[in-house]
Amino acid sequence: MTESGRKTLAGIALILALGGLIGWIYDAAERGLLIAALVALLWQLRNLIAFDRALHTGDFGVFRYGEGIWQQLFSRFSYEHERGDRYKQQNRRIIKEIQKSANAMPDGAVIIDQRNEILTCNKAAKELIGLKRKKDRGQRLDNIFRDPGLTKLLQSSESTRAVDLASPLRENEWLNCRVVPYGADQKLVLIRDVTDRIQLSKIRRDFVANASHELRSPLTVICGYLESFAEDEQVPEHLLQPLSQMRSQARRMTTIVKELLDLSRLEGAGLAATDQAIDIAALVAAAMKTYSGCEDAPKIEIHIESGDQLLGAQSEIESVVNNLISNAVRHTSVDGSIKVSWQSGPDGADLIVRDTGEGISAEHIPRLTERFFRVDRGRARGDGGFGLGLAIVKHVLERHSGELIVVSERGVGSEFRCHFPAQRVAAA
Amino acid sequence: MQASNFTDHISRSFNQDIEGLRNQVLTMGGLVESQLSKAIAALVSGDSELGLKVANDDYKVNELEVSIDEECSRILATRAPAAGDLRLIVAIIKTITDLERIGDEAEKIGFLASKLAAMDRPSDSYREIKTLGTHVLHMLRDAMNAFARLDVTESLEVVREDERVDEEYEAIQRQCITFMMEDPRSIKRVMNVTWVARSLERIGDHSKNICEYVIYMVQGRDVRHTDISEASDLASE
Repeated sequence: MTESGRKTLAGIALILALGGLIGWIYDAAERGLLIAALVALLWQLRNLIAFDRALHTGDFGVFRYGEGIWQQLFSRFSYEHERGDRYKQQNRRIIKEIQKSANAMPDGAVIIDQRNEILTCNKAAKELIGLKRKKDRGQRLDNIFRDPGLTKLLQSSESTRAVDLASPLRENEWLNCRVVPYGADQKLVLIRDVTDRIQLSKIRRDFVANASHELRSPLTVICGYLESFAEDEQVPEHLLQPLSQMRSQARRMTTIVKELLDLSRLEGAGLAATDQAIDIAALVAAAMKTYSGCEDAPKIEIHIESGDQLLGAQSEIESVVNNLISNAVRHTSVDGSIKVSWQSGPDGADLIVRDTGEGISAEHIPRLTERFFRVDRGRARGDGGFGLGLAIVKHVLERHSGELIVVSERGVGSEFRCHFPAQRVAAA
Repeated sequence: MQASNFTDHISRSFNQDIEGLRNQVLTMGGLVESQLSKAIAALVSGDSELGLKVANDDYKVNELEVSIDEECSRILATRAPAAGDLRLIVAIIKTITDLERIGDEAEKIGFLASKLAAMDRPSDSYREIKTLGTHVLHMLRDAMNAFARLDVTESLEVVREDERVDEEYEAIQRQCITFMMEDPRSIKRVMNVTWVARSLERIGDHSKNICEYVIYMVQGRDVRHTDISEASDLASE
């Protein structure tokens, strides 16, 4: 038993004893005890009522003095009460700080539930996509920020995804939206202003396109004169060698400029139209003509296993075929062999170019489609490759919803497989 | 959490039906918005490929219209909605018609943009058309926002905005006439530009219609073919 409990019991015992004693003196011990018990009860009742009032008013000052169980109870309660208040204030302050920092963030953040309904958002989100915090709570995010890209993003089930969208409020501004799983069944949508990045890549693309375009006309003039010098008999003997080198280099430069132009055109374009059916067999046959008379080219086999046609842009697919075959020829020695095949199945069609050349090591495969990437920096220059071919192939395939799959082993050979989805294939 | 006062029914599946319908309309709105913004971009930047893409993508808008229409008929037949719900369904049936028309106009602009891209461009690179287009695009956005938020004030704002669009359209037309008189060789091109301006002006009208349906849906008052001050009186009563 605690100290205060003992004191209270002692107090009650004292009252009862006093009552009993006085009663005993006047020869009415029972009545004395009864009155004492009543007094003790009243005393307890008074404290109980005071406690009840203190609970309502929150003022525990009445019980600051005295001893016993009630005083203990009151001071304890009042202490907890004050502590609770203090914590509440502290928590409120912390929440305010967090809100402040969320609002100070330059990126917009919107929390949505599994039905894409907005739970809360920060200030930047309001400014970036025009949300209204009070009014839009409970609205679906894709009902306010209606962009087919966002709807698709919210529907897809990958864990972290991002997409660039045009700003709904301001022109020529771009937002990057990223969806991150958050809490139970919730999603956090992060919105960032990426106008600068988009602008920059546009400037880069425009620059490459313009520069290549501007380089083309002077090159045509240079090539023209060099060609005419080649047939001119008055050109002195000692200039013939330099002139022929100049001619081949000028031709090389023309090809690079042309490929750069192609590439920048492909980069900016969306999906290719599907109204043109392309006969792959004819394309491959046409490409083969280049190598038919060549003695230093390896043997090339053609396996056309399907009569299906591809839907897309003829000239682009032609450049894919040419690039893949010329790559294979360049990297395969004369005694090797190259196999070009075209096959189709229920999930689409494949154009496969397989060679028995030197192969590519695994760490280089992901970088093959970068512009000007070369596996062997020291080599290559002389053999006619520019490092743009596979970049073009990649972009053409993207435009045809296809993908490039490269399998290769050093010393054994490589396989370049262009896979086209079923909707790009027209059955023969 | 349910956003609108329309979705407060004892039957949960009815709630879901109506919510789904609203979402579909807004998805359609989003698609139409992006079509329009692409069409304007194609015209201003002279991108014939983008213009053709817009023209080719119009079928998506049409498909959505048909499917929403069917859904509306189904709800009318099976749920027999009354009062606010009935107004909502009626307003949706009308809204999607206007959205589909806007889609058609965007298709037209896309097609004209691809044609105009092949002709020589004026020195101002269609600045006026761009201003008008941006203006109209914002009207459409605000109209769809008003639809999503059931916001009468915003709707009235759009209805008011339409008058300004009409003025801009007049100005462009006058300018086009001047161009044609100055240089008859440009008539073919400028004619196409007037068609684009005309389409944009029509989109403004359709956006205004949508806002009038929103007012009808929320307040139950028909403010069509009334003057703007009368309309705002009716709407605020």
